[in-house]
Amino acid sequence: MIELIGRSFREALEGLGSAGRMCLEAGRSARDVRTWAPLATDQMRRLGVGSLPIGVLIAAFTGIVLALLASYSFTNSVPRYLVGTLVQKTVMMELAPVLTGLALAGRVGANIAAELGTMRVTEQVDALETLAYDPIAYLVVPRILAGLLMFPIVVGVAMMVGLGAGWLASMGLLDLSSAQFLKGARLFFDDFDVRYGLVKAASFGVAVTAVGCACGLEARGGAEGVGAAATKAVVTSAVLILVLDAFWAVVWLLGRAV
Amino acid sequence: MKRRSNDFVLGAVILGAIVLIVGVSMFLRESEIGSKRQRVVARFSDVGQVQVGNAVVIRGVKAGRVEAIELGDDGWVLVRLNLEKSVELPRSPVVLLGASSLFGEWQAMVTERQSVPNNREVAAALTASATGAGTALPGAVLPDVAQLTTVAGGIAGDVASVAQRFQVAFNDSAARELRSSIRSVAQLSAELARTVRVQSKHLDTVSVDVRAGAADLSQAAEAFLRTVSRIDSATSAGEVRTIVSESERAAGQVREASVRLNQITQSLEKTESHLRGVMARADSVLLKVDQGQGTLGLLVNDPRLYQNTDSLLRELRALLADVKKQPKRYFGVKIF
Repeated sequence: MIELIGRSFREALEGLGSAGRMCLEAGRSARDVRTWAPLATDQMRRLGVGSLPIGVLIAAFTGIVLALLASYSFTNSVPRYLVGTLVQKTVMMELAPVLTGLALAGRVGANIAAELGTMRVTEQVDALETLAYDPIAYLVVPRILAGLLMFPIVVGVAMMVGLGAGWLASMGLLDLSSAQFLKGARLFFDDFDVRYGLVKAASFGVAVTAVGCACGLEARGGAEGVGAAATKAVVTSAVLILVLDAFWAVVWLLGRAV
Repeated sequence: MKRRSNDFVLGAVILGAIVLIVGVSMFLRESEIGSKRQRVVARFSDVGQVQVGNAVVIRGVKAGRVEAIELGDDGWVLVRLNLEKSVELPRSPVVLLGASSLFGEWQAMVTERQSVPNNREVAAALTASATGAGTALPGAVLPDVAQLTTVAGGIAGDVASVAQRFQVAFNDSAARELRSSIRSVAQLSAELARTVRVQSKHLDTVSVDVRAGAADLSQAAEAFLRTVSRIDSATSAGEVRTIVSESERAAGQVREASVRLNQITQSLEKTESHLRGVMARADSVLLKVDQGQGTLGLLVNDPRLYQNTDSLLRELRALLADVKKQPKRYFGVKIF
């Protein structure tokens, strides 16, 4: 039992260390623009645009459920228009970034880890090095860049879709007028809500892609190793998303509250 | 070709997402691009919970938003209000900041100075803010629910403290004493009522007596009148002289009786002195008897003497009985 705990802790530290090292190397390799720039657009489309449907779907259902949940929770002493406030704040600041991030951790993180893991076990990465390509600049930088830029896009769209779904659900299912919902949504709206969600999404994107790349490039032992790398990438990314979520809340929200 | 397609799709998605995010944000902020606005600055000593973006209302109608809040000179806070161009400010306008609901949302109200709620602190704040404000409108913060609840909380605390003290003072023993006092007061009032009843009865009796006395007096007066009339009639018949002579005779007799009474009194005084002497002697005799002196004293104080006397009497009775029964045994009658 104790050994298990120690091993888990060591592996987690190793994962974080390799991801951090990967980020540092990616930062250094980012200067090699000619290597990663032609690939960045493709990665952004694959990781970002390809993830829009899942992000939109999650956000739509989240907005609907939040509106129903708010209506269920509020008693007669709470004005109905606060349904809009709850949906706006919760979707924009928390649920859209975190749920979309978790979904993309499964989709994007596993995809990157499996792809790079396969390249590693089939020695394609070694071939790149042989051809004088920097594998970090060629494989990692475009993906991290795609995660950094496209996660906020996906999460931003998810925010708006979630808010719209909550709005429609309030009008269609809760007998709440459009004006009432908008009054609540506007009541405590601040630009900061959007900035906070997008910055969190960007950090999630970097974490998911960096962990996916690190796990993929460290894959060993064939198909089994590739599967293990994909699993490890998803789990580590999910944990990192939650840790980063708490980090931003403590650093940014707590500072504003004080 | 594929790269160009990728670039197009990506660009379209990014552009669409940005437009969507910015558009929704502006929609939620109620921002208006290109509309004509007017800006008004108000000066406050404190802005409470007002934030940038809060509504500005005139006579209850939303007319703009709080655009900026910044610190000014001499400890003042300057609040810039962004109002619609068509809005006309009321005469002698002031700006009041206050809560617009119980849920923490605040608003700025632009109103006339005469319409300000009758609150001493608000009036003082407006007066201070107006002094040297220049073009800035004077402003004040209305007491919000939190302040009111704080005051109410303080009052509730005082009431609780008083109640606690009352509870400490009014314990079981105090309650018992109070009950006892109430009972005593009830008894006292009952006693008073009874006394009042008795006194009223007495008063009735007295009044009856007084009435009877008055009747007697009336009768006496009538009798006196009759006597006077008789005297009047007697005077004319010479009876008064007879009465006077009889009165003189009676007075002489009274004087003689008085002399005799005086003699009797003197004789009684002598008798009393004799009696005192007799009593003193009897007292000394009784004292001696009590002390066991003399025969009588011994007889009284020594039980043996009584017993001896008693036995002697018994023997004498027996002797007498025997003498009656056999007289010849004791008496011999010889003539010769």
